[in-house]
Amino acid sequence: MIAFLPTLAEPEHFSLAEKLLIVALAIASAYGFWRRFGVVLHKILQSKKDPGFHLFPIGKRVWDFFWEVLCQAKVVRERPLPGLAHAFVFWGFCAFALVTLNHFAVGLGIGFLSPTGFFGQFYSYFAAAFAFTCALGILALFVRRFLVRPKWLGEKLSWESGFIALLIFALMATYLAAFFVADNSTAARVLWWTHSLSILIFLPLIPHTKHLHLVLSPATIFLSRGSFAQIPALAGDEDFGLVVGTDLTQLVSLQVYSCVECGRCTEHCPAANTGKLLNPKEIILGVRAYLNDLGPSSDQPLLGKYNSQEAVFQCTTCGACEFQCPVGIEHVPIIVGLRRGAVNTGTWEDDHGGKLFLALERGSNALGLSPAERDKFIAKQELPIFDGTQEYCLWLGCMGGYDPKGREIVSDFARVMNHLGTSYGVLRKEKCTGDPVRRLGNDLVFQQLAEANLEALAQNKVKKIVSICPHCVRTIQEDWKEYGTPPEIEHHSEFLARYASQLQPAMSGEKIVYHDPCYLGRYRNVYDEPRAVAALAGELVEAPRNRERSFCCGAGGGLAFLGEETGERVSHNRAAELVATGATTVAAACPFCNTMFRDALAATGEGAPQLLDIAQIAARSLPTAKPEPTAQLAVESKVPESESPLTRPPGAHCSYSGVIHTTALSHDAIETIQKAADASGLSVEIGNNYIEFDFEGRDSNQFVVEFLRTLAHAVETASGEFRCEVQVEKEDPLFEFFSIREGRLIRQRAVIVREKEEDITAGESSA
Amino acid sequence: MKIIVAIKQVPDRDAQVRIDAAGKWIEETDLQYALNESDAYALEEALQLKEKHGGEVVVVSAGPERVGQTIREALAKGADRGIHIEAEDLGQRDALGVARLLAAAVKPESPDLVLTGLQSEDLGLGQTGVIVAELLGLPHATLILHVEKTDAGLTVKRELEEGWFQTIELPTPAVLTIQSGGNKLRYATLMGIKRAKMKEVRRVTAAELAADGAAVVQLERVSLPQKQKSTQILSGTPKEAAAALVEKLKFEVRVL
Repeated sequence: MIAFLPTLAEPEHFSLAEKLLIVALAIASAYGFWRRFGVVLHKILQSKKDPGFHLFPIGKRVWDFFWEVLCQAKVVRERPLPGLAHAFVFWGFCAFALVTLNHFAVGLGIGFLSPTGFFGQFYSYFAAAFAFTCALGILALFVRRFLVRPKWLGEKLSWESGFIALLIFALMATYLAAFFVADNSTAARVLWWTHSLSILIFLPLIPHTKHLHLVLSPATIFLSRGSFAQIPALAGDEDFGLVVGTDLTQLVSLQVYSCVECGRCTEHCPAANTGKLLNPKEIILGVRAYLNDLGPSSDQPLLGKYNSQEAVFQCTTCGACEFQCPVGIEHVPIIVGLRRGAVNTGTWEDDHGGKLFLALERGSNALGLSPAERDKFIAKQELPIFDGTQEYCLWLGCMGGYDPKGREIVSDFARVMNHLGTSYGVLRKEKCTGDPVRRLGNDLVFQQLAEANLEALAQNKVKKIVSICPHCVRTIQEDWKEYGTPPEIEHHSEFLARYASQLQPAMSGEKIVYHDPCYLGRYRNVYDEPRAVAALAGELVEAPRNRERSFCCGAGGGLAFLGEETGERVSHNRAAELVATGATTVAAACPFCNTMFRDALAATGEGAPQLLDIAQIAARSLPTAKPEPTAQLAVESKVPESESPLTRPPGAHCSYSGVIHTTALSHDAIETIQKAADASGLSVEIGNNYIEFDFEGRDSNQFVVEFLRTLAHAVETASGEFRCEVQVEKEDPLFEFFSIREGRLIRQRAVIVREKEEDITAGESSA
Repeated sequence: MKIIVAIKQVPDRDAQVRIDAAGKWIEETDLQYALNESDAYALEEALQLKEKHGGEVVVVSAGPERVGQTIREALAKGADRGIHIEAEDLGQRDALGVARLLAAAVKPESPDLVLTGLQSEDLGLGQTGVIVAELLGLPHATLILHVEKTDAGLTVKRELEEGWFQTIELPTPAVLTIQSGGNKLRYATLMGIKRAKMKEVRRVTAAELAADGAAVVQLERVSLPQKQKSTQILSGTPKEAAAALVEKLKFEVRVL
């Protein structure tokens, strides 16, 4: 073809003895490969079938295979330099498939690529280019492993890796060298044999070392469970998760044998980075060691000798490991699977965990509080009750309904929705979505919670949910699917980003660092929306670990409820990183992250940046609502209703409180009052001879007054007084007094007449 | 060691309780029920004794159909079998009436130990366990926090007032009423629930037990507690007010 270029030298003639030797060595090599690979394959195939596994939709699998295997996209993206070196080696191997076939064919006298023919010469140069980059790549990887020595590759130097790097380098070097020797020369023969032997030695080494990933990981990536950190459904009455060897499924076995021990999972693990026992790579290798020693038919426990229970319960399920893994291992289902095994059989004993489970077995929320606390919060914040007519059901979650910081977020988000004119309501009763018990592996309680919630949502005809909590969003949308069809749901960041154009930017010159919550970022792929909302208030800066690489706050996986951690606190580690950006505001988008950082930032002391949820940032741009209450030093003057110039302004904030005393109430009377109270949504305490209630909120259509009227008619013997303070923006409060006398409801109104200001601190010296 | 645990299903603590039309009991429809708390501790104590010394734990409970759910939960936590005394009229029975049912069901089992919570969360009479002991002619002890099996019988730890404890030895068979908080309760597990389906629950009716007799206590009326709010404003200088507050917290509220 192109005569002036050197051609690839090949020995022309091989003696019969040589041919026999080639065949014998090839058979020995293949046997060496199969002897181990057959065992591994058998263990994988012998494992339990994955219940509910489907090959379809196949499009995503084909794409993942193309992108992650053929293009090496993940390998390169997450660790660019070593990733590129690896990609060169991989692509070199691909290009060499044809070369290697021809190489041995030449040895047997049936070579099909002529080094001087058109395609043969073209391909030999094509492969040479890959051989060159592959040789460079393997050299770079060798230098990294033996000279740079990143700790993720393990403390111990792996000499087998060194030897294999040498073999790969030899393969490429002998190939390239053959361009510079004469055909049929001794040198050509030596190069041919060195090349052949390198391959034949390499082949049996593959299944004995972590280079097994060469063969397995393309299959592992193609056969993933289908979505990120997906927890598979249990199958049948005897499936309690990963308890013993027979519980290991084919996917789990395939994945653990695919591990290439690169340590990317450990590098990004919040537990491993803060001195905990958990090391995700060791979990995978622990399961592999179990399979090697005992196999998938064993009834020995998976936790104990091979993996520690303590480590498994230190996982925050942040998914950083799974996201990083270049060979398609799904760590989260494996770790949660081991937890399920321990919890579903009752072998996990933990004071905090037990308390959480008991609280959710009987109660409604993970915080173990009375649901009346949630009712009070709803009344105080004047959150409308969902009645099927509103567009959105605002899901409060345990944090939004019970936690002080979570409540602030809900209140501010509600203000924004009010401002936007969005119709929404909250459920009268709500149970925990089951997120913490799901991740801790308590399938019994999770099922109870998911079913009860699904039923309540269906009864209330909820179509769309919006929630401030990424954990609720994830659990409702993905995990509940096991027990029914959950309504559409979105996170408030997605909602707010959609309406960002209608919110006034309130630029304050602040530097804001946004922390990506694991369950919003990696789990839901939402990165830009919360940033768009945070950007309403100032200049965004990024923490070193951001977006897909965001570092957990430490609360996920139920760990928020498990008490003090060992080692450094994950939240402190992350908070320090956020503070180091020099930001004046830390923006979060998850109530769990919020509470973790609230404590962590408090511990950093003076000058800590302020912490705001994106809903709070959005709410800051709204016109200010209620003014701070002014001094209550006042004189009340009674004005008869007939002469009163006062009318109650619409939308005023009312607080009613009072008790009326009655003689013994009849059953009918109690029922009437109860019905009237239920109809108006009031929480009324009805005693045998008294009726008491508090209400705070808007009473625009005067339903509380209506209730009092019913009360007056129903209880003729009643007497007593309810007081109502009506607060209007920036105006002095006005008071209404309702008294019930002889079946009539009397209203009196009063205003505050404020006296002149008087400084009463003067003269105080030693108070 | 064969242990019988008498348990009771009571309205859930968070449930909204209403008085029924007759004013003699509560409205039972739509009410959430749960296992009585101190009975849960009695069950836990029994399960721990079984784990240590072997034997069998049998739960017995009286009440309508819905009680079956609570018996299943106890089986799920580790009890070996259950006895459901079917009785629709539990609300009308006095402590003696309920104890007669329980004693009649327990007697043919000839257990080594009978445990029950010290009182129920709904009626709070605190008598049922003690009467069962009397009907069975067995020694009993109340307010027990901890049970230890000895060669001679049992050594038990009783809770007295003001942080005092008493240790008692008694022979078996015996009846003990268990105080809440002595142990850590175990959580229910999926495996437990699945296994519980296979366990035996024997149903007997009150008539079959032939344990009826005239009630000695008549229930007159039930009523909801009256909640009184009382606010006192302590006047004077901050110093005086603080002193008065401390005084009240110490001697009236007794929290200091």
